[in-house]
Amino acid sequence: MPQNFILQKWAVWPPLHADAGQGPANQNALLAKVPSLLKRRLTPLAKTVFCAANQCLDDGHFLPMVFSSTHGELGKSFGMMEMLATGEEISPTAFSLSVHNAIAGLFSMVWGNKLQCTVVAPGEEGLAAGFIEALGLLQEGAEQVLLVFYDEPLVAFYPAAPFKLSTDKCCALALCLAKTGAGQGMALSLSAMTGDDGEQPVQLEAFTRFLAGSSARLVLKTPRHSWHWKKNVQAD
Amino acid sequence: MSRLENELKQLIIESLDLEDISVDTIDSQEALFNGGLGLDSIDALELGLAIRKKYNVRIDAEKDDVVKIFASVASLAEFIESERN
Repeated sequence: MPQNFILQKWAVWPPLHADAGQGPANQNALLAKVPSLLKRRLTPLAKTVFCAANQCLDDGHFLPMVFSSTHGELGKSFGMMEMLATGEEISPTAFSLSVHNAIAGLFSMVWGNKLQCTVVAPGEEGLAAGFIEALGLLQEGAEQVLLVFYDEPLVAFYPAAPFKLSTDKCCALALCLAKTGAGQGMALSLSAMTGDDGEQPVQLEAFTRFLAGSSARLVLKTPRHSWHWKKNVQAD
Repeated sequence: MSRLENELKQLIIESLDLEDISVDTIDSQEALFNGGLGLDSIDALELGLAIRKKYNVRIDAEKDDVVKIFASVASLAEFIESERN
């Protein structure tokens, strides 16, 4: 059964088109309101997430949030494991930022968000896992949900091939979803068709192009089934 | 300002990534936590590690009065001096 929802706003960072100003000046502008004591804790991936998510939230307006990342900041954990292997003491700050919900936690601290926040690490299901979580919150009565996908290239140590689970760049996509109201009417559904369109880091680009483009439908196949997203759907 | 205090200020700035702050702007008597510089508990752990690496002085949360030692640059310097002697 298709699940209908409204896409109220979305933003991707870095922007799809180079002329949209993805230079550091623009990133600095998007991060200008982050207090400096917290800004020092933002890694390049965290900054990317903030740049996308900040564009979907109005100042002082909080939403329940769902974050989704296949690998999170695995590079940080890997770096610490290398240090442990050589007998070096690891940095408490690096340790605190290596957990999967670190970026979501920093985002909540920066904006003072006290609403619910879930962080998922999807495998084969890719983007669908975060959508299911967010649509579940809407179903439970949340008026809007902020859904944020992000990933960065996997540390070279890990064998990414032949799996389709790494990307060549840092990317974050933020979506503001609602059950009703103004925006793009969309639907998510499942079919039995199988295939392999890769995991979230690979799917992110296809999904962003779908949102930006004129195509009304996107199918992402997994080894178990496929997920279908439709645009221009009438609201319930 | 003692040489050790100066060194500690530099260590605080470097180990805690305080890019916007310079040695001159940290007052030795100023509170490091709870107001003042506004550092948090993770900073305390990070600073404890940096001090252990640089001065080979261990601040033991079980034995030492951590709140007093971490109160300011001056109190940190005093503790390191006394441990080294």
